[in-house]
Amino acid sequence: MSLLSILGVLSSAIFSGTSLLYTTLGEVIGQRSGIVNLGLEGVLLVSASSGFAVTVITGNPFLGLLAAALIGGLTNMILGYLVIHRKANQLASGLALMFFGFGLSALIGKPYVGARINGLPRIPLPGTSGLPQLYTSLFSFDILIHLSIPTAILVWWILFRTRWGLGLRAVGENADTAFASGRDPRLIRYQALFLSGLLAGLGAAHLSIAYTMNWTEYMTAGRGFIAVALVIFSRWHPMRAIVGALVFSGAVAFQLLLQSSGVQVSPFLLDTIPYVLTILVLIAWGGNRRQSAPASLGCVYHGTE
Amino acid sequence: MNKKLFYVLVLAALLLSACGQTTAVPTEPPVVATEPPATEVPTEVPTEAGQCLLIGALYGGPITDAGYNQAMHEAVMAIKDNIECVQIIEAENVPDEAGATSTMENMISQGAKMIIATAFNHQYPALELSNKYPDVIFEHAGGWEMGPNFANFFGAPPDGWYLMGVAAGKMTTSNRLGFVAAFPLGWTLTFINAFTRGAKSVNPDVETIVAYTFSWGDRAKEADTTNSLINQDVDVITMHVDSPSTIISTAESRGVYSIGFQSLAAQQFAPEYWISGTGYTLGGKLTWLTSTVLDGTWEPIFLRCGIADGCMAIAPFGPKVPQEVQDLVMQTEADIEAGKIVVFAGPIKDQDGNIKVAEGETLTDDLMGSVDWFVEGVIGSPK
Repeated sequence: MSLLSILGVLSSAIFSGTSLLYTTLGEVIGQRSGIVNLGLEGVLLVSASSGFAVTVITGNPFLGLLAAALIGGLTNMILGYLVIHRKANQLASGLALMFFGFGLSALIGKPYVGARINGLPRIPLPGTSGLPQLYTSLFSFDILIHLSIPTAILVWWILFRTRWGLGLRAVGENADTAFASGRDPRLIRYQALFLSGLLAGLGAAHLSIAYTMNWTEYMTAGRGFIAVALVIFSRWHPMRAIVGALVFSGAVAFQLLLQSSGVQVSPFLLDTIPYVLTILVLIAWGGNRRQSAPASLGCVYHGTE
Repeated sequence: MNKKLFYVLVLAALLLSACGQTTAVPTEPPVVATEPPATEVPTEVPTEAGQCLLIGALYGGPITDAGYNQAMHEAVMAIKDNIECVQIIEAENVPDEAGATSTMENMISQGAKMIIATAFNHQYPALELSNKYPDVIFEHAGGWEMGPNFANFFGAPPDGWYLMGVAAGKMTTSNRLGFVAAFPLGWTLTFINAFTRGAKSVNPDVETIVAYTFSWGDRAKEADTTNSLINQDVDVITMHVDSPSTIISTAESRGVYSIGFQSLAAQQFAPEYWISGTGYTLGGKLTWLTSTVLDGTWEPIFLRCGIADGCMAIAPFGPKVPQEVQDLVMQTEADIEAGKIVVFAGPIKDQDGNIKVAEGETLTDDLMGSVDWFVEGVIGSPK
């Protein structure tokens, strides 16, 4: 195995982990406020298709990025209305949102299948300009990758170092108590969901506008669910989400490396490595009381009536 | 995907069991449909006077995919260009069997007398309907079943893959070619084998490295796979997936050559490092089949046709391909047509050195679809 192939695993992990990281960060915020969003897959699809469409129409990937983020936030408002206002079951609402997202994204993306776009520009890491193109292209990152770790730090700061974040976590633990201490659980949950959708939209934009530069129906291929799993994996902590996203996508890159270096193991078996690894980490980290789920995750807030 | 969904559901249900609220959380999972709705695009309303035949055509994916579905769509549209009185109803994104049956029934109820079903999964639904509607003619792309009013047509890609192998074998400097495949299926393995035999015919040191994505449409994984191959010193990338655009643009961004397959439209994604590609150009043969339907001479024939018959075409060469490589490819093509080169003529050994096709024998068409071994020179697992 050459240096290039080892650096390549790292590069692939970063490239394909970025969409997972943004989505997971968003879901951390949502779940910290007490809402689990199983419709994330649908939100990602709607954002990816509309971001791609806007990029095709305007020719500007940054406008596409903006559109994807806003649409992500707005799509999450549907879930918000259902589970906060109408007090509907979160799981059922999430699944409904997901299937809604399947259909809507197919409709939005239909005219743009096969369209060619100029994706988000890539900025090489400083100091790599003298290397051959094969190496520089490994670490020419777009703006979303450059901003991914700062975003994780920002999310951590918001959740754990601001009053709003304290209120949000309080709502996720016990909405009635939070209300008694002068917070508005409904408002906070709407805000959390909108922020969560914005971040998911950025993740989706990375997928369709930056990395693959392509829209295909159902192109997220389960990444919304993986993000929900990564939230549990990272124990509702934004910094651990970085590790989760890198480990998962690194495992995908690693099994591809094994395949392409001619290891005589069934590729079907190799394909399960990322999932097996996730399960192993869950087992190893499991059962720690200090890092358990927000206490009222998934619970309806009934207010004071 | 459904499995994944229900695991998450169970996981989440466990998570939620700790709720201290007074109202019970309903635990029954909602009944959900699993497929996005197929979009049906009637291109023309078949009411005009002078219509001589209504054809219903269905595709497994979107017709603008720069891949297989676009190639099939263009072939069907060629019928309309050549025979003006024909009307066509098209339905795209019909990947599954149930959807195919209802789509075809719907087309027949609108008066379609000829059905062109282009996806792998359309074969058995179309065969069943051919028994139910004996006065409707069914043509399926790439299958093997036959019936009194049910037949098959397709291009013969292995020769084209051999030619692309010749080009790749000449262009590579690392002697490592990369092949991104969706699944280890019989025809995919045959394409890889033909490609490798072509490459080895001009460059005995060459190897083809195969990696699977296990999805026809996971674009991010296609990009990951392409990068992974390139990081293993591969300097020519080719593929058998639905739409090649992500793989080709990824190779382009890494400064690595690419070879397309399915539709000639793939070239636009690699302005600089494109070598060439092969695509289906079945419009002429479909026009001919339609004309036999019109004059009543249609017969169920198992139609396979190659580059010389105009059913497959070689895409224009890219700017970095030297003239002598282009000439060599065209010369090889002429040799194949003249019968001087037979792609799968024995002796052929598999990866482990076992004889798979004996000296003096040839791998026949009906066996190509069920190949489960790789020829010498391929790195990767065929199962």
